[in-house]
Amino acid sequence: MGNQAFASHNIQEKKWKFSEIISDPEVLNRWEKTRKFFFLRESTYDMSNRCNIRCEGCYYFEGEKQFAKENQDPLSWSALMKSEKERGITYVVLAGAEPSMVPDLLHTCFQEIPLGCIATNGLKQIPRAIDYTVHISVWGNDETSFSIRKAKNMLKTQIENYKNDPRAIFVYTFTRENIDEVYEVARMLVENDCVLTFNMFSAPVGYEGHLRHTEESLVHTRKAMLELLEKYPENVLFSHYNAVAHTHTKGLHELYSCSYPRLNPSTDIGLGRSFRHYRADLNWNRDMACCVPDTDCADCRHYAAGSAVVTARLFRHATHPEIFKAWLDYVDTYLSVWVRGYKKEANLCNYLVPPPGIEPDRKI
Amino acid sequence: MTTVSARKDIIIHVATVMIEELKLEDVTPETFNPDIDLVDEIGIDSMDLATVALVLQDEYGMRFDEDDYPKLTTIRLIAEYIEKELK
Repeated sequence: MGNQAFASHNIQEKKWKFSEIISDPEVLNRWEKTRKFFFLRESTYDMSNRCNIRCEGCYYFEGEKQFAKENQDPLSWSALMKSEKERGITYVVLAGAEPSMVPDLLHTCFQEIPLGCIATNGLKQIPRAIDYTVHISVWGNDETSFSIRKAKNMLKTQIENYKNDPRAIFVYTFTRENIDEVYEVARMLVENDCVLTFNMFSAPVGYEGHLRHTEESLVHTRKAMLELLEKYPENVLFSHYNAVAHTHTKGLHELYSCSYPRLNPSTDIGLGRSFRHYRADLNWNRDMACCVPDTDCADCRHYAAGSAVVTARLFRHATHPEIFKAWLDYVDTYLSVWVRGYKKEANLCNYLVPPPGIEPDRKI
Repeated sequence: MTTVSARKDIIIHVATVMIEELKLEDVTPETFNPDIDLVDEIGIDSMDLATVALVLQDEYGMRFDEDDYPKLTTIRLIAEYIEKELK
């Protein structure tokens, strides 16, 4: 079977029992490894309303949240983290606008909830004592970064700041225009022993600019992702199923039914019940709450969204051994990208499996 | 009488699966309150519930609808659902 071919088996061939699906020792081991992290309950926090650069298509500077007044009081943040812990939050995502601007507040959060991630542009080092995963956003080579993000020598600076830092995951965001640059960027990162994963530019509401993906760019991106996954398996945290989910013609919501509150009215259980997105003034609004607020939901292929939305769909992936393996690869990838110290294993499913209930969208 | 007995058996079995799969401590199948809210009071989440549902499907030879299982937030509700599916 070719590396990029859809699985040829008929996924409707029989009704599989879950015990049969996990009877393969390799699958069982991966299931047992990943399910230990089902206790993770996330929420997201905008740490400030400032950033040291201004990128085209930035999510933070869309919508009302950008006007929230900053709360810089460590005691208020500490109280918030304590109350979050009490309501069951075990994982924090510290994001907008640029968290490295407020290291003391990051430290306050870390002291209360020790599992989490900081989403940063990587231009300013975050103190090592804050032992969260650090996601460094990369949007292309230095020329492209200067054009889109108005920052000079951005990749060079990011690598210098984080190349020997075990917290660091470089997140390459594919736009419509930077697809071929990923080969050069990945090579530079690998040469510096950095690890990387992939994100997809997902248009903010109303954005129709030149970064928005097209059918052609989705195909092109999937090909690049798979080639780099094969070329640098030790450095690229990704799987075939990640590539399918994030470059499908349909967005994540259409494929998996997004479970973030913004699109999910249910408060029975899961993200619809527990997830909150706090603005920099420590307020939150259920109607707006999702991991990347102000994204056009129909265009959302964001890695953070997929990490929750695809992972949460255990039930619908537990129907066939190959589909379940693909899902396990996705979960294994998600944990390695988001949880400090979690080590990714070799993928179990090295071909393209369509999402449950969805016809293959294309050959590759 | 048979129905009551059958439901009680299902409740005990659901509790057993719940305890084993979620590694719950300080409770036995017999002492597990079937009406306790699993989400509010035990703290289980959708992934836990999906795991339990998958195991119960195997054991009872029935299927949970994906849209239904998140609403089954007590052991009694789960047992009633299984009973209904088995009829």
